[in-house]
Amino acid sequence: MAWNVKQDESLKKEIPTLNQIYFYLTEGCNLACRHCWLAPKLQKKKHQYPVLDFDLFRSIVEQGKKLGMTGVKLTGGEPLMHPDIEQLLKYLIDQDVSVTIETNGVLCTPEVAMLVAKNKNVFVSVSLDGTDSRIHESIRGVKGCFEEAIQGIRNLVNAGIAPQIIMTLMRRNKHQIEAMVRLGERLGAHSVKFNMVQPTERGKKMHELDETPSVKELIEIGKWVEETLAGDTQLKLYYDSPAAFRPLSRLYGQEGTGCNVCGILGILGVLADGSYSLCGIGSAVSELVFGHASRDRLDKVWKETKILEEIREGMPKKLTGVCASCLMVGSCFASCLAQNYYRTRNIWAPFWFCDLAFQEGIFPQTRLYKKQQILA
Amino acid sequence: MKETGKPTANPMLVLREEFDDWAILFDPDTGDAHALNPISVFVWKRLDGHHSVDDIMSELVKSCDDVPENAQTEVIKFIDELLEQGYAGYEI
Ligand code: SF4
Ligand code: SF4
Repeated sequence: MAWNVKQDESLKKEIPTLNQIYFYLTEGCNLACRHCWLAPKLQKKKHQYPVLDFDLFRSIVEQGKKLGMTGVKLTGGEPLMHPDIEQLLKYLIDQDVSVTIETNGVLCTPEVAMLVAKNKNVFVSVSLDGTDSRIHESIRGVKGCFEEAIQGIRNLVNAGIAPQIIMTLMRRNKHQIEAMVRLGERLGAHSVKFNMVQPTERGKKMHELDETPSVKELIEIGKWVEETLAGDTQLKLYYDSPAAFRPLSRLYGQEGTGCNVCGILGILGVLADGSYSLCGIGSAVSELVFGHASRDRLDKVWKETKILEEIREGMPKKLTGVCASCLMVGSCFASCLAQNYYRTRNIWAPFWFCDLAFQEGIFPQTRLYKKQQILA
Repeated sequence: MKETGKPTANPMLVLREEFDDWAILFDPDTGDAHALNPISVFVWKRLDGHHSVDDIMSELVKSCDDVPENAQTEVIKFIDELLEQGYAGYEI
């Protein structure tokens, strides 16, 4: 009947459980997407950029499980480019942890898909930014990658996994939103998620070049997706705007898709070189790297890293700007701390999207403690 | 809660209704906020010291076509939660 949207105060008193580790398995990537928030290096055949050592991966998983970890996310770069990916997937089958894989689909062969499917609790998302090769490849920078990604999705579906399609919205593809949902239906996808281009690394450049829809447009698109399109498909649709912009019924109702809460209180990142990081952002901001898996024990890193302690202690009361005035803060945690830090070098800064909406006077007034004219 | 009791909503709380008939109920002093579904909003608006659970239920049945079978249990649970948190009380 009622859903508490504020954080439980008791959470902050103890060290939270490490729920999930994000493994950024490869520093390189086989695509060169315009909007990538991490800007990995394009890896052609001749180049070989660092990848996470398999023994190190295994040791981190073992240590993580002792801390209560129940899930791993394999991402990159491109996780399926990891030279030991098959070995790594086989290893995970017996680990009794949930496995999330974020891939561009290109290397998802029938063999890899079968191995992925052997994991009992697995969730795969495949990025697709256009419903045809022209749009998709103009965004992803490599010829032929559209058909390969589609084949990758088919291989997953044939192996019994209905993947989520992730489409990142930009000016050049926003007219294909509905077509993407229809394509997802035809392919047998589980759901479609619409992301915004985050203003970090290459995504920042896109924002500067005005290649992304404005906040106002994104809000309008979101309304249409959640209130109209979602009712016109069997697929679940996720629209990645912050909680304040999402209808409560879509957040908490029976058919709801939940909040995009920053999971930082229960997540740690491991970069391809083996260093521990605040999610993946350590690859762009060196001060958010805090140790290396080859010399630092995970429990020490998780329990004693100063910035993590500060986050646990300060979340959400230290958040600033519009996040400090937002009624959704307890179920959102400022959307993405890593992103907020990258943009401002302040871990407590508000999320860019809400900040801009607030400045433009288009932040939903019902979600603020006090209406905007009082705050301003 | 006493099913014959007629609870009153804490007047310090703010209810903000939204377009989909859901609402945010929050305490402006602490920022503690809750999302209420349409039935909870209906109940909240009748916590005026003049409605018992039975009164609320009969109004609910009159106004809605599809009242779920477990509605009464849910309504009592919701009011209990409100009473527990000091979001509602009984006038003395
Ligand atoms: S203002 Fe901050 S807390 Fe509120 S929805 Fe936006 S990012 Fe989340
Ligand atoms: S900091 Fe960003 S990437 Fe990390 S858990 Fe939060 S939302 Fe996810």
